Amino acid sequence: MVTISDTSTVQVEIIPSRYLMPETAQRLLNEIYNNGGLQRIMVHGPNLPRAVPYGPGKGIPIEEHRDMIVQIGDQAFELRVKVGRIRLELDNESYIKGLEAACERALPFSFQIKRGKFFHDRMTVSDYAKFGKVEDNRLLGLIDPKAKKDTLAILSDERVTCDKEE
Amino acid sequence: MAYTPQYYPGSTSVGINRRKHMSGNLEKLRDIPEADIVLTMGHRKPGQDYPSTHPPLKEMGEPDCPVRQVVEPTPGAAAGDRVRYSQFADSYYFSPSIPYWRSYWGSINCRGCDPGTLSGRQIIEARERDIESYTKKQVDSEMNDVALSSMRGCTVHGHSLRLEENGMMFDMLARTEMGKDGNVYQVKDQVGIPLDKKLNLGKPMSEAEAKKRTTIFRVDGVPIGGKTGARKYDEAVEALHHMWELRSKWGYRPE
Repeated sequence: MVTISDTSTVQVEIIPSRYLMPETAQRLLNEIYNNGGLQRIMVHGPNLPRAVPYGPGKGIPIEEHRDMIVQIGDQAFELRVKVGRIRLELDNESYIKGLEAACERALPFSFQIKRGKFFHDRMTVSDYAKFGKVEDNRLLGLIDPKAKKDTLAILSDERVTCDKEE
Repeated sequence: MAYTPQYYPGSTSVGINRRKHMSGNLEKLRDIPEADIVLTMGHRKPGQDYPSTHPPLKEMGEPDCPVRQVVEPTPGAAAGDRVRYSQFADSYYFSPSIPYWRSYWGSINCRGCDPGTLSGRQIIEARERDIESYTKKQVDSEMNDVALSSMRGCTVHGHSLRLEENGMMFDMLARTEMGKDGNVYQVKDQVGIPLDKKLNLGKPMSEAEAKKRTTIFRVDGVPIGGKTGARKYDEAVEALHHMWELRSKWGYRPE
């Protein structure tokens, strides 16, 4: 018999069937935030460069990708990716139903919610090479060690930037 | 009796569409002005003379060669134009074309061109005035949909990604945009350099229309085997197996 603990954290992944516009992403993230029980959240998707990365137009600014500010609770940050999936760590199972309802409210199309393990909890060699010793383990799995540019992570009200600013 | 080429087997809608693409017998869905195509390609300005890499062939005094006498040069080659390209990315969400079928279309129907097939994009190179006319044929015909296909010279990422909320294929450089009037507008050329004005490409196909015109076999659309659960596979699978067998056993040389 399997006993499901109501105290251990659960990790879930939300995969909408379409890429989200910044407004929809903000609506969804706010609904998730209001649902409560959040330990960690990561927004994932293809990069939106600020300038043409290569080719004859290299360096030309892409105005469409600038100033996409997303406000969640009392935090605001600039969206750098097209939101394709959201990974969450919740306090316990009881928040999952509310999460499904939040997605139903915010997304005008279908979506999947997967249970699994999406964040690593031990430091890898790449993590150590890139960030050194990390004080708060919640940061692990939230930041991309392969990213060349700055990767932003927010720990409650404290803002942590893990590389030099652009 | 005149020979009729048999381009592709099968009786599924995808098989029929593939035959249409290869034969070049395509429906014209829109008429994008030539100047807009030239602007989107970005190799020269509309109305500008074609730069050349060599003098016109008539002035060059070609050697006495039977092949040159038999093969008539294309207009671009005869004028000595530069070789230029146009490259397309097609979404795998029921885009009308796929890279291989753009290449088949080019190889069969376009003289003096060099198609290149990659997993998510397809490039055709030819003399400048030739490639402009080939590109116009592609853009105007049912080979193209303005939301699910786009001309992308670089940063082509998008063909294997989910669509955006408004049904457009993801584009990292935001070369096209969906207008409030439901039309798709080209705002940058194929390499991401902003255009002076927005070019109206027209309305995108509906999902049902795209599924009707697609050349992509998909399990959630039309599978390559034909109707799921049918007693017999579609001829496309039989032909594929036949080709696989010949290729595996005799290196494609059934002597």
